[in-house]
Amino acid sequence: MTATDLPERKTYLRQQKAEHQRNVLGVFPAVYPREVLWSLNILPVEIWDPPLQAGRSAAHLPPNTCDVACRGLELILQGHCDDLDGFLFPHTCDSIQNLASIVNDYLGTGKPCFFFHPPRGSNSKAAGLFYRRQLESLASAVRQHFGGPFDAGVLSASVAMGQAIDAAICEIYELRGQDRLRVDNAEFYEILRAGEYLHPNETLPLLKKLTEKTGSVDHRKTPVVLSGVLPSPPAFLRLLDDLDLRIAADDFMNCSRRLQVPPDPIEDPFTALTERYFRMPVCPTRQSTTLQRMQRLIALVGSTRAAGVIFSVLPFCDPELFDLPPLVAELEKRGIRTLVVEAGLNRQLSGQVAVRVEAFAEMIGSGLQ
Amino acid sequence: MKDLGAPLLSIVDGRRAASRRIRGPQPHFGPPLRCNARLKKLLTRHYFMSRYAEGARPVAWVTSGAPVELLRVFDFYTVYPENHGALCGAKRMGTELCAAAERQGYSRELCAYARIDLGHHFTGKTPAGRLPRPDLLFACNNICQTVVYWFRSLAHYWDIPLVLVDTPFNFETPSDLQNQYVAAQLEETIPVLERVSAQRFDLGRLQHVIGLAKDTAALWGEVLDTLKARPAPMTIFDAFAHLAPIVSLRGLAVTRTYYRMLLEELRERVDRGIGALTVERKRLMWDNIAIWFKARELAGLFAERGLNFVTATYTNAWAETGAMIEPQRPFESLAKAYSRIILNNNLKGRLQLMERLIEDFGVDGLVMHSARSCKPYSIGQYDLKRALTDHLQIPSVIVEADIADARAYSDKQVATQLGLFFEALEHRDVPRR
Repeated sequence: MTATDLPERKTYLRQQKAEHQRNVLGVFPAVYPREVLWSLNILPVEIWDPPLQAGRSAAHLPPNTCDVACRGLELILQGHCDDLDGFLFPHTCDSIQNLASIVNDYLGTGKPCFFFHPPRGSNSKAAGLFYRRQLESLASAVRQHFGGPFDAGVLSASVAMGQAIDAAICEIYELRGQDRLRVDNAEFYEILRAGEYLHPNETLPLLKKLTEKTGSVDHRKTPVVLSGVLPSPPAFLRLLDDLDLRIAADDFMNCSRRLQVPPDPIEDPFTALTERYFRMPVCPTRQSTTLQRMQRLIALVGSTRAAGVIFSVLPFCDPELFDLPPLVAELEKRGIRTLVVEAGLNRQLSGQVAVRVEAFAEMIGSGLQ
Repeated sequence: MKDLGAPLLSIVDGRRAASRRIRGPQPHFGPPLRCNARLKKLLTRHYFMSRYAEGARPVAWVTSGAPVELLRVFDFYTVYPENHGALCGAKRMGTELCAAAERQGYSRELCAYARIDLGHHFTGKTPAGRLPRPDLLFACNNICQTVVYWFRSLAHYWDIPLVLVDTPFNFETPSDLQNQYVAAQLEETIPVLERVSAQRFDLGRLQHVIGLAKDTAALWGEVLDTLKARPAPMTIFDAFAHLAPIVSLRGLAVTRTYYRMLLEELRERVDRGIGALTVERKRLMWDNIAIWFKARELAGLFAERGLNFVTATYTNAWAETGAMIEPQRPFESLAKAYSRIILNNNLKGRLQLMERLIEDFGVDGLVMHSARSCKPYSIGQYDLKRALTDHLQIPSVIVEADIADARAYSDKQVATQLGLFFEALEHRDVPRR
């Protein structure tokens, strides 16, 4: 399987249900214990940016709601979730929180809703214990609803699978940072993001195949670091490709911020998952400080020799918008060029965004290196 | 629980001034509360003293829903940035400070209180004269997740510790697991508070403070209950202002004394049939934070139609959860009480609360403020409105505005929205009893 023959999402879900008797959970952003679901033969399918025209969600959400929440609700309201057997709402932000309550309390979808609270504070004893017990509680609730036994061995295998996936993605990022990966931005993220709906049995070979696409690159592109919620829309990534900008590293909420580096050996699967959570890179929706985010971005720029940082901002995304000014100020102070764009999630990129990115590419000397 | 404007004295002043101004041909307001002057004195003293707290006492900036009782044990002087935001909004300084934050790169889409606070950080401007620089930031995300990002920004700029009490949202019935997590966090904060304040923790003192807070919450509940009377002895706009001490000065003896006096005065007004309005034709409920820069104008607009706001969704929050506090089980009961406030509850819980308030207070109509600044309060209001219309056939309106940024307010749009509401309200034949 490659990027060109990735299965269409709906067809794939139906196939998973039919062939593997898997239940499918629609999972809203951002962090959740996928391994627990895998171990219970449940396929998590993440809902970030479905390509839909907004319409019916406006009857439920005020105009100051972020596009991720709007599109998620739109997906449900337009009847595209019929194949899902339930929803999982991690408590990520105020918008997802109230969206979850609307779905659970008012929409009457007839599907079960599960919830998960990623602790916001530091890795304290209380937070660690709470996280671990939540894992057990979620496993129990899901099992109770869908049936099937819990098997610690199967969970350990799922954790190992998750670690293998994380390790493969880390290797891919490393290759990408060294400019040894022969795929463009659009294809790179298409493959990475396939893990949002593929079963790990399919994700891992796909990633392995990507690591084989290495070699010297004929045409050097200007490396940049991207930060934000998610690498979307594809038109934005294609624009960067057209401008010879290579995303050498990212700080996206739904990509590198969810990776565990490096993995721990698995003694107890719940402990391993708890440690995984607290060892993920910093994210404002979880435990992090502004300084830690700065340090991470500076490190990414340094390790990839990026010529600048592009912040791809989603309107009304509070966690990202609060961090933005000090991050931009510090990077600029260090002589690192920055660009803040509101690319949005619309399929069509606005002319204004395109012009600003073009100007930035020119400024950092894209194509001249 | 958001904001609860301590320094909303300007609103009180405004009500009194408006009352004085219009007590000519069309006196819509009843006599002002005697306690207004006492409230002003109490809060002015609090803000005045805060100027001298820096260096003399440990200072903490606190979110409105945080368990401040813990800080009292260590003698922290507490300042509430949300109060300050409300004050700036009421004094019409909000837009200026928001713009100052925006010039530093903060998006106009962010909470106006946060932008005001950051604008104050960048400019030093405040209608309160001067705010003391904190030694500690104390936040609890039971009111919103925004306070987490906002207080992190402050912690970054000032390089001071931030203590965050993480209260999982009640998507369902709160579990023991959630409660134990919050209680354990409260216990974990003790060493940090000891270090910053250079004082030792005293369990007996915490129990004493908690006892005061519990008593005060009960008194506040009784204060609000007086609004069930017809005519109601004060409006909810008054209540927004008189709520300030229980938020800003919770756990102090002076606050309990204050509410005893307020309750006495309100009961006296009820006995004598003195209403907040000279004519109370219909009774309304307010949902969400006030539009501070328009509060005075809106109070007058409703009063001249004989429409009195007798309840609001958040004013009773401390009364409700205060009863859960048990001095003998300080950490567990604080965790329980602070995890169950309105904004930490799912929409079904909010609907039940609203239905109960509508019944208890004999409400005829509902005004919902969709505040651009406040996502947790505003997202879900459309569904709540529909559910209330279905269940209770009650006229309601959603007013799109903001808490403190006047640029998000359109006079024309609000006039249109309210015009239709007034019409619907008049066509509602049978007043609720």
